[in-house]
Amino acid sequence: MNMDVSPLSIILVKSDSKGDRLLFRYPFLIKQNNEPSSTHRKNPYTLPIVEDLLQSPVQPSSNINKENLTGLTDEVLSSLFAVKMELCNRKFELKVNDVRFVSHPTLLQLRNKQEKEDDSGIMLVNIVFALQALASHSVVKCYHDLSKRLGIVLKYEEKRCGYVSEQTQLMTTALDDGYPNGPGSAFKIILEKCPLASNIKKMYDDLCSTGLVNLRINRWIPLSFCLPQKVHQWHMRGKIVEPEDIDRCLNALRPYHSLLLLHPLQQMNDFTSLDGSPSLVRMLSQYSPLKNLQTLAADSDLTLSHVFELTAHLVYWAKATVIFPVCSTNKYVISPNAPIHINSPLVETFYETFPGVNLNRVISEFSLPTSLGQKCNPLYHRSQQSHLVQTIIWMLQHHLLLQLHTYIQYMPTENGLLHIKSDQSKKHMTSPSPRSSTVMSNYQATNTEYPRAESESGASTVSETPELLSKAVIIENVSFTSTEDDKQDFQEELLLDFTDEERSSIFKIPATNTPEDLKLFAKLCRKEYFQGNHHIEEIMYLENLRRSQLLQLLDKFRDVLITYETEDPAIAMFSCSS
Amino acid sequence: MENSKSNTVVPNNGKEGPIRCIFFCEFHPTAGPIISCQVPANYISKELFDSISVYIITKAELQKSTITVTLKDHKILGFPVRIDDKKYARNAFHFNLCFACDSNARTVQYESVVTKFSDYLMSMEMDNNFLSDGKASIKLTPILTQVMEQLNKTGECALTDGPTATHLKVCQIRLDPPSVMDHQVPLFIKALPEQQWDLTTQQVTPYIDGFNHVARIAALSDVENNLVKACVQNLVYYGVVALVPLFQYGNVYCTTPKLKLLAQDMLLQKKCLEYVSKSKRQLPTLRDVFRMYAAMTRGTTIRDLCVRFNPPILRIDERKLVQFGILEQIIRRVHKYPVILSEQSDLQKSLSGASCLDELCCSIGVTAQQMEDQLERDHNVVMLWK
Repeated sequence: MNMDVSPLSIILVKSDSKGDRLLFRYPFLIKQNNEPSSTHRKNPYTLPIVEDLLQSPVQPSSNINKENLTGLTDEVLSSLFAVKMELCNRKFELKVNDVRFVSHPTLLQLRNKQEKEDDSGIMLVNIVFALQALASHSVVKCYHDLSKRLGIVLKYEEKRCGYVSEQTQLMTTALDDGYPNGPGSAFKIILEKCPLASNIKKMYDDLCSTGLVNLRINRWIPLSFCLPQKVHQWHMRGKIVEPEDIDRCLNALRPYHSLLLLHPLQQMNDFTSLDGSPSLVRMLSQYSPLKNLQTLAADSDLTLSHVFELTAHLVYWAKATVIFPVCSTNKYVISPNAPIHINSPLVETFYETFPGVNLNRVISEFSLPTSLGQKCNPLYHRSQQSHLVQTIIWMLQHHLLLQLHTYIQYMPTENGLLHIKSDQSKKHMTSPSPRSSTVMSNYQATNTEYPRAESESGASTVSETPELLSKAVIIENVSFTSTEDDKQDFQEELLLDFTDEERSSIFKIPATNTPEDLKLFAKLCRKEYFQGNHHIEEIMYLENLRRSQLLQLLDKFRDVLITYETEDPAIAMFSCSS
Repeated sequence: MENSKSNTVVPNNGKEGPIRCIFFCEFHPTAGPIISCQVPANYISKELFDSISVYIITKAELQKSTITVTLKDHKILGFPVRIDDKKYARNAFHFNLCFACDSNARTVQYESVVTKFSDYLMSMEMDNNFLSDGKASIKLTPILTQVMEQLNKTGECALTDGPTATHLKVCQIRLDPPSVMDHQVPLFIKALPEQQWDLTTQQVTPYIDGFNHVARIAALSDVENNLVKACVQNLVYYGVVALVPLFQYGNVYCTTPKLKLLAQDMLLQKKCLEYVSKSKRQLPTLRDVFRMYAAMTRGTTIRDLCVRFNPPILRIDERKLVQFGILEQIIRRVHKYPVILSEQSDLQKSLSGASCLDELCCSIGVTAQQMEDQLERDHNVVMLWK
């Protein structure tokens, strides 16, 4: 769904004891075109339809003309948005034909009339955004939020220094004076004279161009706002990023992920000075795309949860994205939506950043899954190596590359995991493995074991888990220098919570005779690492295993463990369409 | 009714919801805007109506516009109408027939219904003062009840009173389907609804078997290419047909994160095994199917997989396997995009990287193998897989 989320128009309406009035709208039409646009293409030979003539003229069913609001006069708009008391101080949404109006009508107490008890001291201010009717719920929500925040600022400024009274007075005077020269001219004068009007203009321009609004209202209160659906367009053209997408990505943040800034670090100064959070500055001072979030937190002396929050902030504002830290074992391929062709502007930018290198040629090397390690041979000079890393980081920043991870599926029998009882399979669907539960609680206690109940691996035979755990511990302490029979017993006990069917197919594997292998396998299996929810790197991180250990295990148990490569869905949202 | 206090609104943002209430309002010559009839009664309170009447009995400029106002608990959708005539007390009769839904429901699909219903009432009024003779409420109640019940139940309703019958139907508003390309393959995902299809569709549909691509269908059915595309696009719009990439043994596919669902979801497993099976009598095993999917990586063609797994022995039909994977998004086609790097070449237009190999082959009319061999010899051409 590719639609424009920019506003069509921003309208300021007030309503007080003197009645309602549209004070300002932007953009205002430079010249009122008297003849409706539809007549331009009208065939002069068409017969007028008789029935239509009997009735009042048919209204056009569209109020949008060349991305401008049309067909509604200022008086009508004013009467629509000077809402009744009952609808004030809450979300207001009105759709007329193909235009959707969103606002948060705000009631405020006028400063110089505070003493009066009656309604005359109350003014309704309504800053309305006109959007395309197709605008999604989340876009509407964001605009409502912006209108609400503007309302709060104006309410505060009125209380502090009578800002709204002053501005509305200026606008009303201009409207009364300027009308003879045409309706547009009054707005032009207002725009020159009133800071509030120029704030609205700047807001409109910002929303249409970048989606980032940075205002200082009455040269006093800063208002910054980010329209995520728009702001992410600059680095992902044509893809609408919904706030929920970002939330989902951030919920899946793990300590082993890393932050990748989309701008050079120097350019971040503007952003940080505005934000003013010293911890953000501190984190950025330690930033490197090669560090994971945990290291970053340690280096910048912040808690992990705070680093997560800061990351979330940067991602939301389209200043950064989340990747798996660049290392030699990462496998990359070309992202399915990578906008690469010979006329792509990216080719030019790449050429400027890395003189003499053609993006298409560089990226073609990632047609097949390729890791950094594969590309670096020992003869490579250090500088070449760092150059390679730089190009990869550049391509990741532009979402041209996608990282593949290996996932593992445990499939003990020919028919998969048929033994899962229906209630437990339901549990799988709704509240899956530890992974999708809240981020922090799991990772604060990385070293402590998961509670057994959580890691039963869908086996129903063990409900008295503590008992089995103690058994397992005892077994661990038992020396393995025992007879063949004992070993069999030991195997049986280790897989006690597996069904008979599963056990029989597992025991066909020769590696089960090695207790260490079997023990590791059983442990990982119980923790549900083999359900396709964890990639190898995650298992390594959580279980403190070496890659070789894990790969060996996977190889030994390949009859029941099927591996496949795919992207990490948690962080792939920025490069994949699905 | 049971939904009248919808304070605990279920967050079904953007989903279509039922009609909760239909009401008829008019501008009374002395009392102003009033609700003269509503079903169910007292769903919209007097106070609520007063606060929003400006959006229902509107100024002249907003006549005949579809207006939707979203309130805290309700969403009200109307189409204000004014009939000018000397016979009325104020020389005009204003009315608006409104639907009320839950505030978070999607309501665009009702817009055309409201418009048509209003037109129907308008013609009734103009014919025999149906609305303005003072007994509108009594006459309207059964009609509104009937419309609401039937629209909520079946999405259709026929109004047969009066000189002409009017049929109301809730039409789903869908996104425009993407344009159809020559090299794409249409595939039925549900049975073609029994109805009088147009001649082109009748001629084209027998050749839609999930393996013929659009250009081939055009040739087989002897229908002009663009007509086939329009027809297929229409079927895509109605969700009868899905478009999949052309199957070739040289194709490359890769797995998506959805593959894990195949191991977890029993229903999907059953559907999958039945779909990919070579014969109906003996189904393949899940492990074999899963293994074959898992082996689909960039760089592995279907031909390679067939050599490695020998699908007929496993009772798997590899073409069906790929089709199912694409439809359920378990796998994804990896397309090859040839890009020419030399500056001055007349091939720059076709080998720009904007069109994939399938597209090029289809337009030139050579096989993918020939094309690839040709391009491989040219050192100025790189192949991007994505």
